[in-house]
Amino acid sequence: MPRDSSLPPLKIHTLSEPDASDTPEPFDDAADYDPNVPIAIDFGSSEVRAGFGNQDQPSHIFTNRISRWRDRRKNRNLTFIGNDTNLDLSVRSQAKSPYDGAIVSNWDYTEEIMEYTFHHLGVNGNDGVSNPILMTEKLATLQSQRENWYQLLFECFGVPQVTFGIDSLFSFYANNDATASGLVINSGNEDTHVIPVMNGKGVLSEAKRINWGGRQSVEYLSNLLALKYPYFPIKPSTHQFQSLYEDFCYVSVDYQDEIRKILTLEELETKNIVVEAPFAETVQPEKSEEELRLQAEKRRETGRRLQEQAKQRRQEKLAQKEEEYEYYTQLKEQMKDQSKKAVLSTLQSAGFDDEQDFKKYLVGLEKTLKRAQVLEAGEEEEVSLADKFDLVDVPDEQLNEEQIKEKRKQRLLKANFDARVKAKEEKLKKEQEEEEARQKDEAWRSEDLQGWIKDKRQKLTALIKTRKEKLKIKNDMKDRKSHAAQKRMKNIATLAEERSRSSAKRSRQQSTVDNDPNDTFGANDEDWLVYNDITSNPEALDQAIEEEYNVIVGLEQQLLEYDPNFTEEDTLDAQYDWRNSTLHLFLRGPRPHDSENINEQHQMHLNVERIRVPEVIFQPSMAGLDQAGVTEICETNFLKKFGSTRSQLSEGSKKLAANVFLTGGNMRLPGVRERIVREFTGMLPMGSNLNVRMASDSAVDAWRGMAKLSQAGSQYKGSYITRKEYQELGADYIKEHNLGNVLFL
Amino acid sequence: MPPSNSPGPMDRIEFLREVAASNSTDGLHLKRASWKKPHRRHKATRQLVTDEWKRLSNTPSEANRLTYFNVEAPPSIYPAKKYCDITGLKASYRAPGNGLRFYNSEVYSLVIKPMAPGVDQQYLRLRGDDIVLK
Repeated sequence: MPRDSSLPPLKIHTLSEPDASDTPEPFDDAADYDPNVPIAIDFGSSEVRAGFGNQDQPSHIFTNRISRWRDRRKNRNLTFIGNDTNLDLSVRSQAKSPYDGAIVSNWDYTEEIMEYTFHHLGVNGNDGVSNPILMTEKLATLQSQRENWYQLLFECFGVPQVTFGIDSLFSFYANNDATASGLVINSGNEDTHVIPVMNGKGVLSEAKRINWGGRQSVEYLSNLLALKYPYFPIKPSTHQFQSLYEDFCYVSVDYQDEIRKILTLEELETKNIVVEAPFAETVQPEKSEEELRLQAEKRRETGRRLQEQAKQRRQEKLAQKEEEYEYYTQLKEQMKDQSKKAVLSTLQSAGFDDEQDFKKYLVGLEKTLKRAQVLEAGEEEEVSLADKFDLVDVPDEQLNEEQIKEKRKQRLLKANFDARVKAKEEKLKKEQEEEEARQKDEAWRSEDLQGWIKDKRQKLTALIKTRKEKLKIKNDMKDRKSHAAQKRMKNIATLAEERSRSSAKRSRQQSTVDNDPNDTFGANDEDWLVYNDITSNPEALDQAIEEEYNVIVGLEQQLLEYDPNFTEEDTLDAQYDWRNSTLHLFLRGPRPHDSENINEQHQMHLNVERIRVPEVIFQPSMAGLDQAGVTEICETNFLKKFGSTRSQLSEGSKKLAANVFLTGGNMRLPGVRERIVREFTGMLPMGSNLNVRMASDSAVDAWRGMAKLSQAGSQYKGSYITRKEYQELGADYIKEHNLGNVLFL
Repeated sequence: MPPSNSPGPMDRIEFLREVAASNSTDGLHLKRASWKKPHRRHKATRQLVTDEWKRLSNTPSEANRLTYFNVEAPPSIYPAKKYCDITGLKASYRAPGNGLRFYNSEVYSLVIKPMAPGVDQQYLRLRGDDIVLK
């Protein structure tokens, strides 16, 4: 289509796996080590951030993964952790996480990663680590998790004291005063939660968790794309899906409005993202013109030779048949005056059952001969044979035996010749008729254009209607239970029955369509109707649809030429225009698709997914989670708790609304703040003071909060549990503080 | 220590060995000498959650205890919006055979109707509505 070539090509993003890095994780200078400075470790499910509390940035941030790599030559296992797993692709592919979902499940890995962390922080070991430790944990974590952490930190690393706190509260603390109030919305790698904070203390009785985070989103995206492109040539890695999610997904400010419009050409122009998987292009060697010509010549030559061979074989066969025919005619002549018994014995010795069998064979032979001669003659030069039929009209009495034979031959040939002439005449006549019809049509058009157009249009409408019906029947055929399919089976059954009944009457000999004397099919015109029913099988129907389509295209061509009101857009093809196809726009974006193009075969189009995937935290039901979304949880907090009503916010709720705080790695998606502002404005009473802000660095702020707490003097003193307390009070003891978990609400 | 710009496979392995050696914590006393690694410290999350559930049901019930389970967000009180399982657009229709929701007749006739067996369940699984055999 000419229109498409004017469209600019879309920007193509490549789906790439990052290269292996060359720099191992650095070590902090052991000379700066001070055994009294608290160490803060945010042991998250995607990343570990670790550093000393007196710094303002964690000195180490690495992926929380560990890889056991086999050094085959030395027959040893080497362990790589964090960023070091990226030093080699084979190491990276074997990397595992100590987490299983949101929960630490492998404590051997955890122990090694913690030791690695201390080592890189430059800790000078002295029968353990002598620094106080601050750690993050999940909101309402399992007790076994905390027990294991206590065990690991106190018994293995021998640390003097540990503070545990909730990551999002640390992040809030890093960005606010110690006594600030606000509503914390955290969306992390494994879950999303909402915690109200009153005067610096997390109100965990109103905290709620949605079991959906960045990891689930990436998985959801990969599932959606796998179903969208089931025949995609490669399977992208989780890592690649993650970068698709981080780079291209965004939170829609008005989801309902956006999904209504997104699959339109104008919107897709900006919102459609093309991602191409890398592939090795196989280049077909281009053939030169000379080569192509030689190839074609060779093909023609072979064809000619084959044709000649076939012709020769045919002629040989024909000669043989002619001989046979002559022989048997002679035999027939001879048998005329012999006794019946003698005839039978002669025939039986020649391999026939009886006289009838013989006659039949002779008739069949005559027929095949006739046909073969026609075929042969058709290929010969058209020579006038009329003068060769001199003997045909001479009575037998005047001829000798030789001539009679010749006469019989001539009669055969003449019949052929006549038939050919007749066929030729008929063809000519038909051509003439067509030409006449065309002229008549043209004359009609020039005389009465309106009438002509009307007629053609009517024909077109009728054809399109029958086409639709045929398509429907074709569709029905696929269903065994449909009316069309059942009718067809019935027809076949009836035919089979008739055939078996009539076959009993037939003679034992083989009979073909050509020489079966009992076969009277076709004598009656109604016989042919059977084909109308039986041909309604899918293949024949396909053919009929194809033929009809050609007629439609022909008619449309005429109308396009002469009818000013009939444009390209009215044609049947235009109705299958990709621009009008939701699925095309969804799968192939705002450009035509060429399924032969190898680049396009390796392309995925992200459009609805871009907003569909991040939307789950607002509408968890989309992904099958039977939980309220972020907005609904906040709505409950604002309007039903802290003494508020739907129409009147309490003082506490006002404080929450004035400081809505977004944190967590998954909140880095674009548009999330705008969306929350929009939804909260709609839900809060008119004129409420709403203030929504993002954590200054969603991923690192939790660590900063820990560092800040470790320098906070008295507040810090109230937050840690010492080794002595652990030994006395046991593993289920929790030191409750503003930013940590609590045992009772 | 980083290898040259185009390290050969041997260099790379040598480099990996060097990094692993530099990460070795032997003799650094980061762990207490008395520490003995406990046995079998690997449990799947599902098992850990079940254990927690058992622990909570065995301890005397205290209504206001904060647990892993009661911080879960409750089900929504609003009716769930329905979206096309294929395209994600708003769905007004539902396929009679398998219950897939769809946006328009084109999606139905070109995707849902000729769908291979089992694929419908994959779509349904995405919104947690598939048939799970136990």
